[in-house]
Amino acid sequence: MISETKVSRRFFLSAAAAAGGGLLIGSGLEPELIGALAQTQAKDIPLNAWLRISADDVVTLISSQSEMGQGVMTTLPAVLAEELGADWSRVKIEFSPVAPAYANPRINWQFTGNSESTTAFFELLRQMGASAREMIVAAAAKRWGVKPEECYTDNGKVIHRPLGQLAGRSLKFGDVAEDAAKVTPPTSPKIKAESEWKLLGKPLPRVDLPSKLNGTAVFGMDFSLPGMVHAAVMQSPVHGGAVASFDKSSVMGMPGVIDVVPVPNGVAVVAGQYWQASQALKSLKVTFDDGPNAQVSANSLNAQYRAALGGNVWKTVKTEGKAVSGEAMAGQFAEVFSQEYESQFLAHATMEPMNCTAHTTDDGCTVWGPLQGPQLTQIVLASALKLPPEKVTIKRTLLGGGFGRRLIADLPLQAALISRAVGKPVKAVWSREEDMRHGLYRPATLHRITAGLDKAGNPEAIAHKLVSPSILQYVYAPAVTDDNDPSCLEGLMETHYAIPHQRVDFKLLKVGVPTSVLRTTGYGPNIFAVESFIDELAHKAKTDPYQFRRRLLKDERAIKVLDTVVEKSGWRRRAPKGAGRGLAITEAFRTHIAHIVELSVKNNIVKIHRIVCVIDCGVALDPEICKNSIEGGTVWGLGAAFKSNISFKDGRTVEANFNGFRIAQMDETPPIEVHIVNSGTKGMGGTGEVGPVTLIPAVANALFAATGKRYRSLPLSRHGLKLA
Amino acid sequence: MKQIDFSVNGKAVRVEAEPDKPLLWVLREDLGLTGAKYGCGIAICGCCAVHLDGDAIRSCVTPVSRVEGKKVTTVEGLSTDLSHPVQRAWLEIQVPQCGYCQSGQMMSAACLLAQKANPTDADIDDAMSGNLCRCGTYPRIRRAIHRAAEIAAKGGR
Repeated sequence: MISETKVSRRFFLSAAAAAGGGLLIGSGLEPELIGALAQTQAKDIPLNAWLRISADDVVTLISSQSEMGQGVMTTLPAVLAEELGADWSRVKIEFSPVAPAYANPRINWQFTGNSESTTAFFELLRQMGASAREMIVAAAAKRWGVKPEECYTDNGKVIHRPLGQLAGRSLKFGDVAEDAAKVTPPTSPKIKAESEWKLLGKPLPRVDLPSKLNGTAVFGMDFSLPGMVHAAVMQSPVHGGAVASFDKSSVMGMPGVIDVVPVPNGVAVVAGQYWQASQALKSLKVTFDDGPNAQVSANSLNAQYRAALGGNVWKTVKTEGKAVSGEAMAGQFAEVFSQEYESQFLAHATMEPMNCTAHTTDDGCTVWGPLQGPQLTQIVLASALKLPPEKVTIKRTLLGGGFGRRLIADLPLQAALISRAVGKPVKAVWSREEDMRHGLYRPATLHRITAGLDKAGNPEAIAHKLVSPSILQYVYAPAVTDDNDPSCLEGLMETHYAIPHQRVDFKLLKVGVPTSVLRTTGYGPNIFAVESFIDELAHKAKTDPYQFRRRLLKDERAIKVLDTVVEKSGWRRRAPKGAGRGLAITEAFRTHIAHIVELSVKNNIVKIHRIVCVIDCGVALDPEICKNSIEGGTVWGLGAAFKSNISFKDGRTVEANFNGFRIAQMDETPPIEVHIVNSGTKGMGGTGEVGPVTLIPAVANALFAATGKRYRSLPLSRHGLKLA
Repeated sequence: MKQIDFSVNGKAVRVEAEPDKPLLWVLREDLGLTGAKYGCGIAICGCCAVHLDGDAIRSCVTPVSRVEGKKVTTVEGLSTDLSHPVQRAWLEIQVPQCGYCQSGQMMSAACLLAQKANPTDADIDDAMSGNLCRCGTYPRIRRAIHRAAEIAAKGGR
């Protein structure tokens, strides 16, 4: 979703500088215990910003990244532990504060998203772990009076065993930590080879799981402070509207009610308990000024998209070869073929509704919450509260799902302002209905793809027209211009299909509903369109869709993934009678992924028999976590393909709960196999978001194989199709 | 406000609450048991599932007055040391991602297993399709329920 433009880099360097503080090393950290295999009361010795060692050998590893289910608070600390030679049963994990040391090194910005936690931090954390290891080894070698080259670390100990000797001596990490901290950190520590790994590349016990199984995990909703009160928030039901007036007296005197507080775009009832606040909110007399969007509806949006696609205002964002436009292809090729595709608006619908706790005083503000964007939250709050950024402290709980929604500081800001108004710590909560009606939605898209074909039906030229509202506007504004948003174009700019003449034209649409990043970002809609279209070309050319793609692909990793999914799924064998198989492949978030779906259809009821998925994410640092993520992404994709839809009427979001916004459920989930191809640590990819990307076109392509009918718009429920 | 007596996880409790206050918010706000989660408030998502006299119910729509004199079990009551077969299986299969729905998933699964020691896939579909998971962990939940049945059959409680 994020491109490394100079302007954005500059913005974030200055933003990071504004966030204050130098490199935070150890003692500056405020421990926020979030998950642990070990506990200690002993003194902790920091070796660098990422790890500390206690006198009783507990290694504290810092997680800069938020844990929203993707397993990052296990996998990235395991990179540190691997290089250190730590005993995994003796580590504990803490979330970092906001500080430059913990910024994503790729863009110098602290956030969790874009499936890039592993790809951006892997090499840095290897170095930080290896650096600490060499400091420990140097300290131990000095104590023993031996050469450091004769020492190594393993399982929480530093060991001296010269070459050729069977026995050695050892010291525990805790015994040498204090001396190690005095060693000058090496500038280029030796990184372990993949063949030496003991923790990485195999499943580890996730550090967050025990607490998630006995009710002790602290999500934002579960966080509590002494003296904390609760706020229930209501915002203008029309997007872009505002509160015109409210009558405080309509609820004062109701059980527990403390105050009624205006917030940006809405109003909050504050009470001793959330239940009391939420009940009183229902009785609050409030009027709204609807603003400019009160007429926005599914129909008005559709007309806007159609007008844009039919219009002539385009930004040409990609040209290769002759880059001939779709309109200009007539007469230049043996045949010209064109189709249109549509993806729908989607809500994040995290199972944990939006919430945040804040305590604002004259001295500063502290927030505790399920946050993906701690640095943005700090900057937004500092600006709104007129505080220096270092007076805004961001602490993170576990996230009950994120998917991009929790990057934005809208609710944290409300919580901070409510706390300031009532002079108490406040937990602000959006009800499920408030959460869903005030999503920042995955924008709907409209595509027209046109291909110039040779006599055999092979594409010589392809032209893609995309109409989409912005994805990055709220999370990375500097990357968005009046007519461009790089995230909208993901998957179109970097296709692996070797087609000589390519062109992409883009229309960035301004719409009266909020749109933002959501799992799969631009890749989701774009790959649905591209992989459906390629499949159409294959069938038109009467060529096996696998062979058709195989001939067009040049990337070795893509070819290996394609061949593997074909082999694992039994693609070459005929599908069972009445069933059809569909295939899709892409590279997204630096991971190569392919899905094959086998299904049959009877009376519009779609029975999915089997789904096979293959990924190449470089090296799966924790294969179980990667598989769980891809399985889950595949299930997410089934919901997005068949059921999930956000629509608008009178400027308002229609769907307000899980009865309107439908997601996949247990009885709709078929057997899903995930296979991992290892292509080495040079090309690491993310696995958080790719799962749905190829699943959705693979479903559409399987539907065509099974029924001869091509479905080019989502969700499939609009065509009467239902999952069995 | 009304005084209501019932038991939670084997302990007698007495709360002062509006009779129509949902059990979920009594558990979370009056009794400090935050394992049961608020997800939808209208008995669709299952994050709030707890047991009432052994049956899995949706605590977000259950008025606390309805549980007077009855036995409530929450995820905290399965076990605190993760020894319940459902917890053991969930850990072994590494089911959770974000984990927010998993208290409810486990309570529904524990109820199913109490009624059917060796459930079929169809039984699992019937019992579990009202528990939503946005992370999409259903394949692992299915495996873990079968695994929990095995653990229980081998005497793991």
